[in-house]
Amino acid sequence: MGVVYVVTSGKGGVGKTTTTANLGCGLARLGKQVVMLDTDIGLRNLDVVLGLENRIVYDVVDVVQGRCRLKQALIKDKRFENMYLLPAAQTKDKTAVSEVQMVELIEALKPQFDYILIDCPAGIEHGFKNAIAGADRAIVVTVPEVSAVRDADRIIGLLEAAGLTEPHLIINRIRTRMVQNGDMMSVEDMLEILAVDLLGIVPDDDSIVTSTNRGEPAVLDDLSRAGLAYRNITQRLCGDEVPLLDLSEKDGFLNRLKSLFATR
Amino acid sequence: MVISGESVRLVSDTALVQRTLRSGQKVSFGGNVVVLGDVNPGAEIIADGHVVVLGALRGVVHAGAHGDCSATVLASSLLPTQIRIASYITRPPDGQPLPEAFCPEVAFLKDGEVVIEKYVISK
Repeated sequence: MGVVYVVTSGKGGVGKTTTTANLGCGLARLGKQVVMLDTDIGLRNLDVVLGLENRIVYDVVDVVQGRCRLKQALIKDKRFENMYLLPAAQTKDKTAVSEVQMVELIEALKPQFDYILIDCPAGIEHGFKNAIAGADRAIVVTVPEVSAVRDADRIIGLLEAAGLTEPHLIINRIRTRMVQNGDMMSVEDMLEILAVDLLGIVPDDDSIVTSTNRGEPAVLDDLSRAGLAYRNITQRLCGDEVPLLDLSEKDGFLNRLKSLFATR
Repeated sequence: MVISGESVRLVSDTALVQRTLRSGQKVSFGGNVVVLGDVNPGAEIIADGHVVVLGALRGVVHAGAHGDCSATVLASSLLPTQIRIASYITRPPDGQPLPEAFCPEVAFLKDGEVVIEKYVISK
C-alpha cells in the first residue's frame, strides 16, 4: 500500500513541480513504483517538466467525471517502467474536482504504487484543499526569502489544522555566497520560524532551467548539484540517513579565475 | 481560589495558548492572553487585557482591545510587526532589523504613546 505525499508551499514559483518531478524520478530510479498526480488544474506544468506533454490523452478531470478509466489516463514515463503520471486538465479550472473525488482517486491508486506524489498548486483555496484531501504526509517547499517563509508558515498552520502534522521541509534555491554575506536567510533562520523537520536543501542551479526546458529532471543528471541534492532527499525519504550537502562553493583554480573576471 | 495574607487583586479571565501561533492564526479573547510559544509574523492576538508571550512575539498584538489603556504587552523577545494598545498603535522603526536577543521587554501606554522598556519586576 502506497504512501501519499503532497508537495505544497503556499507561495508560487518556489519549486513544487520541480521537486515533485525530481523526487518521482529519484524514487523510480531506486526501483519504487511511483505515480505523480498534477492537481494544478488549468495551469498544468508537471507534464512539461517531465517531458510527457505530447502523450496526454486523458486527464484527472476525465477520470473523476467518469469519461475514462483510471488506467487509460495514467501515462507511463518514457524513461522508467515503474513511474506514471496522472496529468491535470488544462482547459478546466480547480472547481472541476471535489475533495471527495480526490480521496476516492487516491484510494484507487494506493494499492498499485509504493509512492504517490501530489503536486499541489500555489494558494490556499480550492486547489490546495483538493491536493491535501487524500494525503498522508506533506512536504513543504520554500525558498530563503521572507515572503516565501511567511507563506510556508501559513501553509504549515493549515496542514496541521487538516491533520497533516509533522510536515517535512525542503529549502530550495539556496545561494551560499549570499547566505555567507548575510544577504539571504540561512537554514537556521528559516527553521527558527518554521520549526519543522528539514528533509533537505537544494542549491540554486542553472541546470534546473535547462533540465526543465528539455523535460529531463535534474535528478537524472550526474553533473547537476541540484540533482545530487534531490538524489539525497530521495534517499532520506526512503529512510536512509544522508548528511546535508555542503553547499560552500568549491574554490577551484578555474572558479577563482572566473570570479576575477565576473561582473555582478 | 484562596490566597492567604493580604488580599491580592486578581485580574479577570486569562486564556492560555500552549503552542506557537503560525502565520494566519488569530487569538481573540475578552481577557488576558498568555502564549507559551512564539507568535510568528502574520499571526494576531487581540486581547481585552494584557498579553504575555513566553517566546518571540513577531506578529501583531492588540492589548486593551476594548479601550483599556492600562493594558500591557510583555514578551521574552519583543519583535512585533505592530503593537496596538487600546486605540494607540506603533511599529518598529523603518529600515532597522530588530535585535534578536532574548531580552524580556514590556510595552505600555505613557502620555498617549506606546513605550517599550526592559521588563523589570516591580516589587
